[in-house]
Amino acid sequence: MSTTEEALLSPELLHRLERLELVTRKIFRDKFKGQRRSQRKGQSVEFADFRNYVPGDDLRFIDWNTYARLDRLFYKLFLEEEDLHFYALIDVSRSMDFGDPTKFRWAQQLAAALGFIGLIRSDRVRIEPLGPAAMQPSPVLRGRGSVWRLMDYITSLEVNDTALGLSEGIKQFCVRNSGQGIVVLITDLMDKRGYEAALRYLMAARMDIYVIHILAHEELHPELKGDLKLVDCEDGDEADITVSGPLLKRYEQTLQAFIGTARDFCGRRDIVHLLAHNRVPVDQLITNYLRRRGLVR
Amino acid sequence: MALIPPAILALYFLKLKREPVEVPSTFLWHKTIEDLHVNSLWQRLRRSLLLLLQLLIVALIILALLNPTWQGQQLSGNRYIFLIDNSASMSATDVEPTRLESAKRQSADLIEQMRPGSAAMIISFCDVARVEQNFTTNRRELLRRLAAIKPTARSTEIREALLFAAGLANPGRTSTDAGDVQIAEALAADLYILSDGKMPAVDDFDLGNLQPTFISIGEASASNVAIAAFKTRRKERDLDQLEAFARLHNYGPRDEEVVVELWKDDHLIDASEESLAPGESAGVVFPLEQLEEGVLELRAGTNDDLALDDVAWATINPPRVAQVLLVTPGNPPLEFSLTTKLAQRVADVMIETPAYLRSDVYRKAAASGAYDLVIFDRCAPKSMPLANTLFIGTLPPLDQWQAEKQVDVPVIIDTAQPHPIMQLIEMGDVDIVEGRPLKVPPGGTVLIETQAGPMLVIAPREEFEDAVLGFRLVDDDGIDTNWPLRLSFPVFVMNVLNYFGSSHQGRFGDQARPGEPFTLEGPPGAKQLTVLTPSKESIRVRRGNLGVFNFSRTNDLGVYEIGEGNNELGHFAVNLFDADESNISPPVDNSVSIGHVEIAGQSFPRIARTQGWRWLLLAGLVVLMVEWYIYNRRVYL
Repeated sequence: MSTTEEALLSPELLHRLERLELVTRKIFRDKFKGQRRSQRKGQSVEFADFRNYVPGDDLRFIDWNTYARLDRLFYKLFLEEEDLHFYALIDVSRSMDFGDPTKFRWAQQLAAALGFIGLIRSDRVRIEPLGPAAMQPSPVLRGRGSVWRLMDYITSLEVNDTALGLSEGIKQFCVRNSGQGIVVLITDLMDKRGYEAALRYLMAARMDIYVIHILAHEELHPELKGDLKLVDCEDGDEADITVSGPLLKRYEQTLQAFIGTARDFCGRRDIVHLLAHNRVPVDQLITNYLRRRGLVR
Repeated sequence: MALIPPAILALYFLKLKREPVEVPSTFLWHKTIEDLHVNSLWQRLRRSLLLLLQLLIVALIILALLNPTWQGQQLSGNRYIFLIDNSASMSATDVEPTRLESAKRQSADLIEQMRPGSAAMIISFCDVARVEQNFTTNRRELLRRLAAIKPTARSTEIREALLFAAGLANPGRTSTDAGDVQIAEALAADLYILSDGKMPAVDDFDLGNLQPTFISIGEASASNVAIAAFKTRRKERDLDQLEAFARLHNYGPRDEEVVVELWKDDHLIDASEESLAPGESAGVVFPLEQLEEGVLELRAGTNDDLALDDVAWATINPPRVAQVLLVTPGNPPLEFSLTTKLAQRVADVMIETPAYLRSDVYRKAAASGAYDLVIFDRCAPKSMPLANTLFIGTLPPLDQWQAEKQVDVPVIIDTAQPHPIMQLIEMGDVDIVEGRPLKVPPGGTVLIETQAGPMLVIAPREEFEDAVLGFRLVDDDGIDTNWPLRLSFPVFVMNVLNYFGSSHQGRFGDQARPGEPFTLEGPPGAKQLTVLTPSKESIRVRRGNLGVFNFSRTNDLGVYEIGEGNNELGHFAVNLFDADESNISPPVDNSVSIGHVEIAGQSFPRIARTQGWRWLLLAGLVVLMVEWYIYNRRVYL
């Protein structure tokens, strides 16, 4: 459940985030680094697309022909000027509602922060929860003016029991969104059906994929004692354990192995995998780790 | 009990209460559990520290309940025989609470340590043996019979008990034929003798298959002052005067000061203080005035270890006149001497002619012992009466009495002065005209010796005595002797009356030892007497074959009352005047000798093996605390 008592992101954080911008690796593979909007003359700039004019766009790239014809302002997009689509996919399964602060809250914060960065850089931001069809994704948001809508939307998200699995949700996402861009998948990857299929879908969509593997500190270092019956909060599956030192050690090994496997999988497929846990503040994640990884700059 | 740990295991695995905890996903936990194969029993046991501890606690408790023992003696045999001494000396209190109780306790310890399947037999012995419990493996029954053994006041004689014990271990043969097969197998048995060892050696006994162990009970420092003798006697000259004689003996190792008190019918009438060195005897005389008949009780006020011999009783019975029958054709001097005032105080004399001998009255009286003395003067009965007899001038109708041919003028050369009949008699002035010397029968004593041979001989006949005078006192044709004219004659008659008349008292006495049969005096013609024991039990006694009443239930110490119908006839006392029992210090070499085998005494301290259950329970408690600690602090192995 998202809390409305406090703002998702603090004003200081917002202030810091303003200096950042999202970066995608894929497109820059072919283009010059550091410049999203190429202004090179003399180069054939491949005309890619039109989009509606939004106040604040560069006036030089307004398609006056279309304006003359249709009396509407269209902004020319070139390949290198392609809008950066930024998608934040948030895992809203019940397992995210765990930890203190909950992983979900943390995911909300992260999504909000990244979305904020995208918005102020005029990227296309869309937040999608991997939930049931009834849960609507956010509309495509653009521009600073949509910040409040972004926050509003994210705050309204809730953990859902009928969440789809990873692969199912991502399949639907891919169907809905055909463009390329950055996908930041904020999930704990705790899907019994496996995450490989889901990531393959994303790969097929040729997105720039960042997997933020969020785990609660309590998951990483469980403080369990005694004889317990572990109940899976999503499907009610039970596991009887008798806690002992070796068991916990073994669990952590398994967990590390799991994370390592995920990392390997992602690394082999050019997906950025970042392990995070809910005790790391979001801003630190962004300014430190994500910057290092090249998501922000 | 062996089922409890598996039950606990089953319960533990089946119904383990697990606290439900919500986790985001059991995905990894399943993987972890699978990896660990925790489901396997061995892994669960390894990991489950608490379960292990609980099992350990239960195991300790079960072990404790099984009551293991160690550091003790394990009896390894198969058959045991316990001979337990319950004689008078075993009532000594030098070993708490009494020696007999200590013997019973040690026997109980030994019985408890018997291997299951062993059989044991319990025999208690004093001067007779009694099989308390035959061979059985039923331990509870053995212990019950053991506890029921009561102390007695009798002396110690182990022979009979040994014979009982040998009955199984060394069975006899049916015949003396060498080729005969033994009827039963000789089974070895462990023989345990629990006693203080105060018993005579038994030499003619072969232990055979018995393995003897003598457990000696009793401290060498036991002290005991005993009343060794106590009786009353009427003064000879004045039958109304009484004296009481007592003798005390110090059997202990220390000097003792004893105050003796003389009680009659709950009144203290005299007391005396004596001091005795170890092993010393002291005699006390209490002069008594004229006392009615009754019971005297002597109490020795001492705090010694055996109380049985600190009290003694004596009875004052009425002086009983003797019943005397004189059968004579006519003997004036004798008749006159028998009917003086003095003589009448001692005896009731009936004078009859020889024809009386053929009457039924006589026959009945003679056969029932109604007479104390029958004097046959110049006549003889067909058969001897149940009485003392004095034959004058005739021979008894018995083979052992023979006389020589008549001699003339036998001169008296000697008389048996010490004999009660011949006391105070001087016969130097007695002349005898003629007489027949007597042949002395077996056991006889010559009372008057002449140069021709014995003239007065007395000989025993069962419980009576017969005296035969070889010469007549008077005769049809004149006087045969001048004895009746001499002073010694009436004295002789009185002596005869006293000796034969009151000998019933001396013969039977008024005291008996515990367990000894006692012969009761009844009035002639009484068919049945009643005896009241000190424990107030009333027992009827019938006249026996020999005409006397035999009473054998003299187990209790104290005074017994004799009555006939509603009449009280008298009392008699049963006292423990037994030096062997009163001397309660253990034998010097602390061993008993059986069949020339010296069996050294051993004293077992409490043989009981160390009970282990306490330690195990304590260990269980410690483990319980460790488990509590681990559970609460979540200490992980």
